[in-house]
Amino acid sequence: MNKEAAVYRRKKLLKYLLIHAVIITVVVVCVYPLLRILSISIRPGDRVISTDLSLIPSGADFAAYLRLLKDTMFLRWLWNSLIITVVTSFIGVSLASTAAYAFSRFKFPGKKSGMILLLSTQMIPAGMLILPLFLMIMKLGLMNTYLGMIIAYSVSSLPFSIWILKGYYDTIPRSLEEAALVDGTSQIGAFYRIILPLSTPALSIAFLFNFTTAWNEYLVARVVLFSAKQYTWTLGLFELQGQYITQWGMFAAGSMLVTVPVLMVFLYSSKWLLSGLTLGSVKG
Amino acid sequence: MDILYSIYEVLWFVLIVAAGIAAIEGYFYYHFKLHDRKWFMAVSAVFFPLAAVLLCRYVGLVQGAGSGELWAWFFITQVIINLFFKHIIKGRFSLPYMLLAPAFVGLALLLVYPFVFQIYLSFHDLKLTTIMAWKNTGHLPFVGIQQYINVFTTSPLSEVSFWALLLRTVWWTFINVFFHVTGGFALALLLNNNIRFKGIYRTLLVIPWAMPQVVAVLAMRGEFHSQYGFVNIMLGKLAVAFPALAAMGFGPVQWLSDHPLATCTLINIWLGIPFMMVVILGGLQSISSSYYDAADIDGASYFQKLRYITVPLIRPVLMPAVTLGTVWTFNNINVIYLVTGQSGGTERADILVSALYKAAFTYNRYSYSAAFAIVIFAILFFISVFYLKTFDAAKDER
Amino acid sequence: MADVKFLKVTKKFNENVILNGVSVEIKDHEFVVIVGPSGCGKTTLLRMLAGLEEITAGDIHIDNILVNNIHPSKRQIAMVFQDYALYPHMTVEENMSFALRLMKMDKREISARVHEAAAILQLTKLLKRMPKQLSGGQRQRVAIGRAIVRKPKVFLFDEPLSNLDAKLREEMRVEIAKLYQRLNATIIYVTHDQVEAMTLAGRIVVMNHGIIQQTGTPIEVYRKPDNLFVAGFIGSPTMNFLHGKLSAEGEKLFLKNDSLTLYIPPFLLADGARNAGREVVLGIRPDDVLVGSGTRENCSEKIEGVLEVSELLGHRENLYIKAGENRVLATVEAFFNQSPGSKVSVRFNYRNMHVFDKKTQQRINN
Repeated sequence: MNKEAAVYRRKKLLKYLLIHAVIITVVVVCVYPLLRILSISIRPGDRVISTDLSLIPSGADFAAYLRLLKDTMFLRWLWNSLIITVVTSFIGVSLASTAAYAFSRFKFPGKKSGMILLLSTQMIPAGMLILPLFLMIMKLGLMNTYLGMIIAYSVSSLPFSIWILKGYYDTIPRSLEEAALVDGTSQIGAFYRIILPLSTPALSIAFLFNFTTAWNEYLVARVVLFSAKQYTWTLGLFELQGQYITQWGMFAAGSMLVTVPVLMVFLYSSKWLLSGLTLGSVKG
Repeated sequence: MDILYSIYEVLWFVLIVAAGIAAIEGYFYYHFKLHDRKWFMAVSAVFFPLAAVLLCRYVGLVQGAGSGELWAWFFITQVIINLFFKHIIKGRFSLPYMLLAPAFVGLALLLVYPFVFQIYLSFHDLKLTTIMAWKNTGHLPFVGIQQYINVFTTSPLSEVSFWALLLRTVWWTFINVFFHVTGGFALALLLNNNIRFKGIYRTLLVIPWAMPQVVAVLAMRGEFHSQYGFVNIMLGKLAVAFPALAAMGFGPVQWLSDHPLATCTLINIWLGIPFMMVVILGGLQSISSSYYDAADIDGASYFQKLRYITVPLIRPVLMPAVTLGTVWTFNNINVIYLVTGQSGGTERADILVSALYKAAFTYNRYSYSAAFAIVIFAILFFISVFYLKTFDAAKDER
Repeated sequence: MADVKFLKVTKKFNENVILNGVSVEIKDHEFVVIVGPSGCGKTTLLRMLAGLEEITAGDIHIDNILVNNIHPSKRQIAMVFQDYALYPHMTVEENMSFALRLMKMDKREISARVHEAAAILQLTKLLKRMPKQLSGGQRQRVAIGRAIVRKPKVFLFDEPLSNLDAKLREEMRVEIAKLYQRLNATIIYVTHDQVEAMTLAGRIVVMNHGIIQQTGTPIEVYRKPDNLFVAGFIGSPTMNFLHGKLSAEGEKLFLKNDSLTLYIPPFLLADGARNAGREVVLGIRPDDVLVGSGTRENCSEKIEGVLEVSELLGHRENLYIKAGENRVLATVEAFFNQSPGSKVSVRFNYRNMHVFDKKTQQRINN
């Protein structure tokens, strides 16, 4: 009896050790590239290009960061990205918030087809619309400007945002608005005074989604922006990385500066984003 | 100074957007208010198109087209809107329509109109030599379905043919989705055990997905560098450590120049597994443990439980995720373009969408790529319909 | 304070008729309880009065003003919702003052009213809390407080106690009764629970299938139900029903079915001969089923039966008795010392017996 229990215990222990071993291997594969960038970014200038695999290089310094901030327009690129992204997200969320309210609370002719239209826009490959958008922006004379970028980005996350927000509004009991109506607000007043303040979690998730989409965008920026001064950080980094030999250290430094905040925001919000994603697709 | 200027520029833009939304709302508001008055239709059909034309002229928004032509377009639009109000909209739905208006006008201008414009382009001939004429006069030569014929008969890039691209795309999509799902499933099963550090593992495992894709892909691209990339350094060390392997031709590989597609695939698998893992893990955790308890009592083995409980119960979560993953992979320009898009890049890794992007912006064949885009859209459309059909069928079985 | 009039109020959802011509008048200072099973249209009626639901046809007057197309907040009503509908992002005080703030009322006046209401409802200490931090009973009181501060003409309660557990429900019932005495306002209260209806109401409106079945004081509705539905719905435990056919033997009238013959005295149903041959349902409340052999005035002959199950409730006991094919429930003083399977004899009290026509379901005795 005892012997059997011991065997069982040993088997169980072995199983857990195995699981941990496999997972740790995969974790290493996942995290290693990020650590490599970190280690490259703090290598001293003369040893950036080497076959050295140690994570903390000898003679580590922050020279690459300093050079990145001093010699390139990295801060300017970040600023460009920030402006474009914030304005885009702001427009996207404000348009989505009212539209989602209409879908969540009202019955009207065309509601169903509107929802279907919304979902079907998600099927148009993003890459497909770049060309006509590019031509429109060119014809409007907005090449190489913030405005052109904002126009191109502003509705790209709109259907998804509407979908997330509608799902959230649906969970807010209607009796709250009815109470507000009895208390003396109009329907719109109930929306602004009751529903919007209650939806801050969903609104911030929609904002974050808009934000990350625009923040990480590369392909539209590539064709609309052509002077280095107007670049977003994605274009700037690509430029640096292209000159593999000379700028590798600065590319790594820039990557770290951009990635760390994005990672933190993402890890904070991933649960929400995911529930929105699956919710939207399951229902659709 | 620069920063002040950009703040000014942005504030100005926000003002324009606010004014635009106000204008849209006002426009609809008066239609809702007055659409059943007799005089309104006539007055609006004169007034609104005129105002729109003046606005366009004043702002200088639309170059090229003549005022008369513009006026005709706006007039037709106005009449359609009037008829729409007269026959379809009843006054009591005004609130939801007003709430929807800004979003849908935005979608119409920036998603639907470009799509229609793309179709228009695909029947004309816009390329580097005709673009200046088009920009200044709005004139484009009409070529019928010639662009569509070109799509199937000539190469979108310089050598690879449409059919080769299609085959490669299918192959790329299949391999990627397959590894995403199996890898994600395996990891999720491992993580779903009651083990220590589960939260930390989960957090670390989603890092490839959470990193900005540009950084992740460019960093991985660096790791595949023939001389200084991690992959080749490791392969070299292995070859030194095990001469037997080296004798069989094992050793560093010229990833970027000799095997670009394999490189892209490896990078994309690395990128895509975390998403699937998180989705499947969520699904696994939502399965009530009482099913497994019941199966344990019935004497089911681990694989039987996997086969008869886990897989069927995870399907409602898995199917949409796989659909989404398929569409994303099919449409993935980022990875391929970032790895091979630089000057002198190869086209041996290109799939349909990345070839589309390069045809438009590296080769500047605008109308050609418009037609190409429509063809790709049609393919994707059929795949999606097929997918949804089978998905619905699977749903009905339950 | 004011009176409320419903005139042939009708509600249709597509082809579904929810309310079919409801007319009722509610007088000033009256506490009216609308009661009925779920789906009978009672909540819809209340929501139409509040202005939250469109009226398909008919008129609603408050204080002799037609309110069909008046905004909810202009109807001088206040409503307590089933799920309380407290604004989760506002404190108790903000919740209670929201309507007053929207009216742009003077700040001191608002504060005075809120504190007065809070004192009545013992909420003074909770004014700074958020709804999340309150218990179910406290939330209920805040919801009532929110209604009180507005000093409305009519209070509307939509199943306010249904989310509370049994003990708390009793407490709140008493509090609402006290509040009514204090406010002396017109109250319209919707519930599916007939106990609440019986205990709170000045007048009960019983509804079913979108139609008013009976209106009256609790005693009237209990003693003289107009039809089979009201008879079965009001009163707990439920009334016993005996189905059968009336037949006359000479001057005497009897109810007959397969296993029972029961004499119907003339004071219960006059004009006996005229009713002969009619299919009827006899209703007897469990309290009026007398168990034991002793005779009493105005009671039926002994009917022999078998005790199937007995349930002890404490001071009372429910006896499930089978007499031939008829099943009868009797409520008697505890303890009835007989085991299941033993023979018992029962008598019915003619004074509280109800006779309904089986076809029309209407009451035919008086």
